[in-house]
Amino acid sequence: MTVRLAAALPTHAEAVVVNSATPLWYITRATGLVAMVLLTISMVCGLLSSVGYQRPGLPRFVTLGLHRNASVLAVAFTAVHIVTTVTDGYAHIPVQDVFIPFISAYRPLWLGLGTVTSDLLLALTITSLLRSRMSYRTWRAVHWTAYACWPVALLHGLGTGSDTPVRWVLLLTLLCVAIVTALAGWRIAVGWPGRPIARVAGAVALVLALIAAGAWLSAGPLKPGWARRAGTPPALLNHAAGLLAPRTAQVAAHIGQTAARDA
Amino acid sequence: MPSRAVRMRLLPETPQLTLDEHLSTYGPPPFADTACDTAGAAPLIVAVEQSGLAGRGGAGFPAGRKMRAVAEAGRRGGPFRSQVGTVVVANGAESEPASGKDRLLLRRAPHLVLDGIVLAAEAVGATRAYLCVHDEAAPLRDAVTSRERAGLNRVPVQVVDVPGGYVASQETALVGLLNGTGPLPAFIPPRPSERGVRRHPTLVQNVETLANIALIARHGPEWFREAGTPSAPGTALVTVSGAVARPGVYEAELGTTIETLLDWAGGFAEPPQAVLAGGYFGGWLPLPAARRVHLTDQALRAAGAALGPGVLIVLPESSCPLAETARVTGYLASQSAGQCGPCRNGLPALADALGQVAFGRAADDLLRWTHQLLGLVSGRGACHLPDGTAGLVGSALTTFADDLRYHATRGPCGRAARLPVLPLPAPAAPPAPPAPPARPDPRSRPEALA
Amino acid sequence: MSRAEDGRRPRPRVLRVNPVACQGHGMCIELLPELIAADPWGYPLITPGPVPDRLLPLAQRAVNSCPTLALLLTSPQ
Repeated sequence: MTVRLAAALPTHAEAVVVNSATPLWYITRATGLVAMVLLTISMVCGLLSSVGYQRPGLPRFVTLGLHRNASVLAVAFTAVHIVTTVTDGYAHIPVQDVFIPFISAYRPLWLGLGTVTSDLLLALTITSLLRSRMSYRTWRAVHWTAYACWPVALLHGLGTGSDTPVRWVLLLTLLCVAIVTALAGWRIAVGWPGRPIARVAGAVALVLALIAAGAWLSAGPLKPGWARRAGTPPALLNHAAGLLAPRTAQVAAHIGQTAARDA
Repeated sequence: MPSRAVRMRLLPETPQLTLDEHLSTYGPPPFADTACDTAGAAPLIVAVEQSGLAGRGGAGFPAGRKMRAVAEAGRRGGPFRSQVGTVVVANGAESEPASGKDRLLLRRAPHLVLDGIVLAAEAVGATRAYLCVHDEAAPLRDAVTSRERAGLNRVPVQVVDVPGGYVASQETALVGLLNGTGPLPAFIPPRPSERGVRRHPTLVQNVETLANIALIARHGPEWFREAGTPSAPGTALVTVSGAVARPGVYEAELGTTIETLLDWAGGFAEPPQAVLAGGYFGGWLPLPAARRVHLTDQALRAAGAALGPGVLIVLPESSCPLAETARVTGYLASQSAGQCGPCRNGLPALADALGQVAFGRAADDLLRWTHQLLGLVSGRGACHLPDGTAGLVGSALTTFADDLRYHATRGPCGRAARLPVLPLPAPAAPPAPPAPPARPDPRSRPEALA
Repeated sequence: MSRAEDGRRPRPRVLRVNPVACQGHGMCIELLPELIAADPWGYPLITPGPVPDRLLPLAQRAVNSCPTLALLLTSPQ
C-alpha cells in the first residue's frame, strides 16, 4: 500500500502542475470539455447528414438543424474558453497566440493546435453565415476543413489539457473518438462509389491515425513528466512544485504514520 | 450530297471554297464603319430585327432580338469589363445525327458563314469570335487565315473542335466548353447573352443563321422577306433522308409543303408510313396527311411535330416505328450529361419501358408507367434533352396507336428486325465526363454532402 | 415580412430548382410538403404557380435549408 500511494503521488502532482488560484482556469477547462463534446455532436450530425441518414422520427432537416445548432454552441463555448485563457494571467497567453499558432511560450505545439482549431472554426462560421453570397464550390472547399478541425481540437485538448489523465475525462474523450471514428468509417464505406481507391485510402488513413493517436496518448500525456515534455515554461513548473511541496510533505508524513501503524 | 437550286441563297451551285470565288459571287462584306457606342443599336441589328430571321439551330429564337440583347449587355458593361467586351460563338457543331446542313454549308460556303460572324461581331461590339465544329476544322482554319491576310477579319476568329455528344452543341454547353468547364449544359439564368464566355455577354448563333445575317447585311431585310411567309420569312436548309430516292440537303422557302420537299428528294424509295419532322426533338407525322403540312415551326407544331434544325426522315412501311423510336430513345438516354437527377434516372427508365413495348410485351401498367415518365422528365433538366425525348416518345405513342395496340396484344411485329432507318452515330458514345474535380460523380446516389 | 409598408400585395414569388445543383437531399420535400413532392428518385417536384403568401416564410426556410443552394425563390420569368 505504501508503494502504491507513492507511485500515485507523482501523477497527481503532475496533474495539478498549473494550478492557478483564480476560477478562470476552471472555466477554461470546463468550457474546453464542453466544446469538445459539442464539436463531437456537430461532427456526428454532419456525418449523418452527408450519408443521408434518416428515420421516420428523424427527418434530414432535423439532423441538419442539430448540426448547425451544435456548431454554433461549440463556437460559443470555444469563444469563452479562449477569453478565459487569455484573461487568466497565470500562464501568460497573450492575444496574438489566439490567432497565430505555435508562437506561444506555453506548450507551443499543443496550444498552437488550439489556435489552428479556432482559426478553422472562424473560417467555417464566416463562410456558413455568408453561404448564400458565395459560390457553392468555395463554401464546400472551406467546409471540408471541418474534417481536420475536430481531430486537431482533440489533440489540443489531450496535449494541453491538464485533465487528460483524469479517468472520466479520458473515458469521455475516448467515447467521442469512438463515435466519430465509427461514423467516419461508415461515411467512407458509403461515399464516393465511383472511386474505390479514395475509399480504401480513407479507411487506411483512418486506422493509421487511430493507431498513431493511441500510441502517442499512452507514451505522452498519460506518462509522468508530460507537462515538462509538452513545453510548460520552467517557471510555472517550479511554481507548481513549490505550491505542492507542503502538501507532498503532508502526504509523506501521513504515509509514514500509516506504515508505522501497520508495522 | 446533291442539292437543288430553288431561288438559291445559301447554297451556291458550285462550292465557293476560296475567298476570291466567294468575293466575286457575293461581293465584300459590308462593314458598317460606325462605332458601336452610338445611341441606337447598330444598323445591322435593326435590319435583322426587321427581317424576322429566326435562329436556324433548332430553337427558332428571333436573331435580331438576341443580337440586341447582347449589344445592350455589352454597353451596360460592369466595373471590370470594357464596354466592347462581348463575344460571338458560331455554332457549327451539328450533333443531330440526321442533320447534315451545317456541315454542308461550312464545306460549300465557309466564307459566307465567316462574313456573318464578323459582321455580327461588329454589330454587337464583340472583340473575339469562335467557330465551333465537330470535325473538318482544318479547312476552316485555312479559310480564316486567308481572310486575315486579306484584312477581312475585323475580330480574331478561332476555330474550336467540339467533342462529340448530342448535348455538346447546346448553347450553354458550348459556352462551358470555351470556359474550360466542359461541354455541359448550364442552368439559366444567367443566359449567355447576359454572361457567357469568360463572363462576357455572348451571342451564340447557328452557322446557317449567321450566313443569313451576311446576306441580310448585303441585300437588306425586304429582300430577305421576299422568300417564305410573312410570319416565317426566308429560306431554310432541310436535310431529307430515310426512304427517299435522293436523300440530301435542300434549301427551301419556309412555308413550302412537305410534299414539295419530298418530290425534290426524288419521291419515295419504298412505300412510306410516316415522317419524323424536326429531328430527335421533333415529332411523327403520319403519311399521307403529312404531305399537306407547311414547313414552318408554327404549322409543324400544330401538327404535332416541330421545325427544329430542318430534318425530315421518311419511315418506310417495312420498319417498326416503335422499335425505331425505342432505339433513338436509348441513344438519347445515353447522351445525358448526367447532371440532373430526373434526366439521369428518367431517360434510361423511359428507354427501358419503350424497349419493352417495342421488343417485348406492352402490359397495361407498362404503358401507364411510360406516360407517367413523360410527365416526370419534361422540363426538369437544365437543357431540353428530357423534354425533347419525352416529346418524341409521346408523339410516337399517339401517332402509332394502332401499332401500340398490336404490340400490346400480339407482341413485337416482325418489322423490328429490319435494319434501322433512323441514324445513330457509331459508336453512340456518351459525352466526355465532367472535367472540374469539385463536381461530385454524377452517377452516385445518394449524393454526399461534404 | 413579405408585406410592403403601405399594405400593397407583395410581388409574386415562385419556387424553382436548379437541376444541376440539386443532388436530391430532400430537405425541401420534408420542410414544404404543401408545395414540393418527391419523384420516384427523390428529386423535388414543385407545384407550379406562385407561392401563397402564408407559405412564403416556410418557403424561405426551405430555401435556406438546401445543402447545395439548389432551391430558389424568384420572381416569375
